[in-house]
Amino acid sequence: MSRINTTLRSKKILIDQFAHQGLKTLALLSASFIFLIGSVILVKGLTPFLTDNDGLGRVGLIPFITGNVWLIDPTFQSSLYSVGFLIITTLYIVFLSLLISFPVGVLTALFIAKIAPKKLAECFRSVVEILASIPSIIYGLFGAGFILKIVYQMSQLVGVQSKGGNSVLSTVIILALMTIPTITTVSEVAIRSVDQRLIEGSLALGASFTQTNFKVVLTAAKSGIFTAAILGVGRALGEATAVSLVAGGRRSGLSFDLLDTTATLTTTMLEGMKESQGLDYNIRFSVGMVLLVVILITNFLLNLIKRKVGKIHVK
Amino acid sequence: MSNKRKAQDFLLQFGTYFAAFFSFATLSLIIFFIFTNGVKLLNLDLITHDYQAKTHIAEPLAPNDTDYFEPEETLKAEVYYSPRWGLGLIDSIDLMGKTQVEIAYVHPSSPFQQLHDKGLSHELLSLKPDMMIIRIAYSDQPSSLARYGAEQMIDELALSNQIRELEFTIPGGGIRGSIITTFYLIVFSLLFALPIGIGAAIYLNEYAKNNRFTRLLRSFIELLTGVPSIIYGLMGLAFFVPFIINVSSATSGSILSGSMTMAVILLPVVIRTTEESLKVVPDEYRQGSLALGASKTQTTFRIVLPGAFPGVLSATLLAIGRIIGESAALVFAIGTAIKDDIRVTEQSTSLAVHIWAMMTDEPANIELSSTIAIIILLIVLLLNLLIKLLTRRFLRKVSAPR
Repeated sequence: MSRINTTLRSKKILIDQFAHQGLKTLALLSASFIFLIGSVILVKGLTPFLTDNDGLGRVGLIPFITGNVWLIDPTFQSSLYSVGFLIITTLYIVFLSLLISFPVGVLTALFIAKIAPKKLAECFRSVVEILASIPSIIYGLFGAGFILKIVYQMSQLVGVQSKGGNSVLSTVIILALMTIPTITTVSEVAIRSVDQRLIEGSLALGASFTQTNFKVVLTAAKSGIFTAAILGVGRALGEATAVSLVAGGRRSGLSFDLLDTTATLTTTMLEGMKESQGLDYNIRFSVGMVLLVVILITNFLLNLIKRKVGKIHVK
Repeated sequence: MSNKRKAQDFLLQFGTYFAAFFSFATLSLIIFFIFTNGVKLLNLDLITHDYQAKTHIAEPLAPNDTDYFEPEETLKAEVYYSPRWGLGLIDSIDLMGKTQVEIAYVHPSSPFQQLHDKGLSHELLSLKPDMMIIRIAYSDQPSSLARYGAEQMIDELALSNQIRELEFTIPGGGIRGSIITTFYLIVFSLLFALPIGIGAAIYLNEYAKNNRFTRLLRSFIELLTGVPSIIYGLMGLAFFVPFIINVSSATSGSILSGSMTMAVILLPVVIRTTEESLKVVPDEYRQGSLALGASKTQTTFRIVLPGAFPGVLSATLLAIGRIIGESAALVFAIGTAIKDDIRVTEQSTSLAVHIWAMMTDEPANIELSSTIAIIILLIVLLLNLLIKLLTRRFLRKVSAPR
């Protein structure tokens, strides 16, 4: 009897160990994917700079990140790729979209968290939730079918011939619409977690309700609101399909004109891939690599600013 | 309070009202746009039809002189019917506004039930309602064409004894293929993502000690959420696509490679949601089970995991929503060829990529895209609602006994 018990127990221990190791492997596997992504992008993305590219010649790293034309000469006959103007337009577009989405998003969050009556707040919260769950391709479709037409007609009023509305402005509007729900959701949490005593103190000192909301609540929630902005920028930088439907696929030349066609790093990656190997294939990984670097640097800088800004306490 | 103060307050207050209204207006506009453009194509045919229209040229058998087919059902008033051929036609208008002749009724013993394909394949075809007749060519009189309408076609058909050939179309514009692809994608992605994700979550929450190694694991998994989906697409293109080509008959991107890529995208969501629900399971359950002599494995899989089931379910629903909405990653990891015959080792498009493929095509098909968008939106809304209900019930259940 006792022997049966011992074998049973040792069997149990064996199973336990087996399960432990198995589950650990799954966790390790999940964690390893980030390295898989990193190494794949790095290996493929560096190939154009390190090899001869089947006789087309090596792509120069400096011309690649500073140049003003996506590709000089026809595809498959040249290695003169560059993304310099794309990096700058991408950042320019994301910055402009943040100019719209940040105030709107934060004020919406303030409205939902502090100003609206309970029922109305619940209703608007659902609206934001639905907006956040709409897939980006639907935003793109909305942009291509609705925003483009409006921008086109508007540009005709000012007397500018825009190419069917494909422009910086349309791209900025779509990106702003897509990032508003992200910013609203995150800032709302930050605003709601502001210490109630702080608010009561401000009201007791004779500040009006609105003054308190804007000067005390928003300042106290600053760090969380900044995180919201960082997340919004992250989403805008990585957005691809929606933007590709309204950008217009510019191939060369830096332009800050709001009504001119444009392109971002992501839309260029999506554009006409004809081969499954060779330079025109590998170069997309190089663009992806640049995109990742841009995202990392932007994130790092924004976090740096956040740390500085976050230190200022409520006056 | 001074008047200046009041005015300033009012302005700021107005700003928040305006911002909130802006979000509401955006949502209404998007829904309005999609419905006005897409609702006219929204019907059952859309879901059952192929995307590519197919045209056949075929030849029917000649009817006997004595044939007379009385229709077995009452036909609508607009249907023109030829009892000799057992064929009922109706006028309709295609999406471009052109007249076309649609088949409304075919008698079960009509000669049109058996047609010899004059094309490459020698299969037997038959006319069915919803198909469009383009032209009928006779041996003994000039052809009748669709553009003259159904009435004239039936009149000419009644006069003829011998049909030389018949050209007809099975209408396209359906999304059956993309629906099947989306379904396959959901099944396979979940098949990859759920076991790995749930397993990893169990390890992190139940087994792992709180040390540096575990924190490192967590932060690596957390890093995955920040990667844009187009980068996942590149990873799928460079890693999973060649992998599937090596182990199967696939020659390019396929549903399988797409599902694997999708699974990686889903992992952080599945892990986080599952872990959250594992955390809510009270520690007394674990202690009780262990005290009764159950092993750690038994406790985890028989007591803790079932307790966290609603969380796992909502992770699954979240994942399904993500799969249905994903486009950028799938453009790279599967491809953008819209197909009707779906195989898991071949290219095809999910509903979202179907929209992208049509919108980047010239000319862009906004109507059909909006119709697909309606379908996607309805599914996503339904999933959201389910998740909300689920979380609410789960929270109530867990907090009730305390």
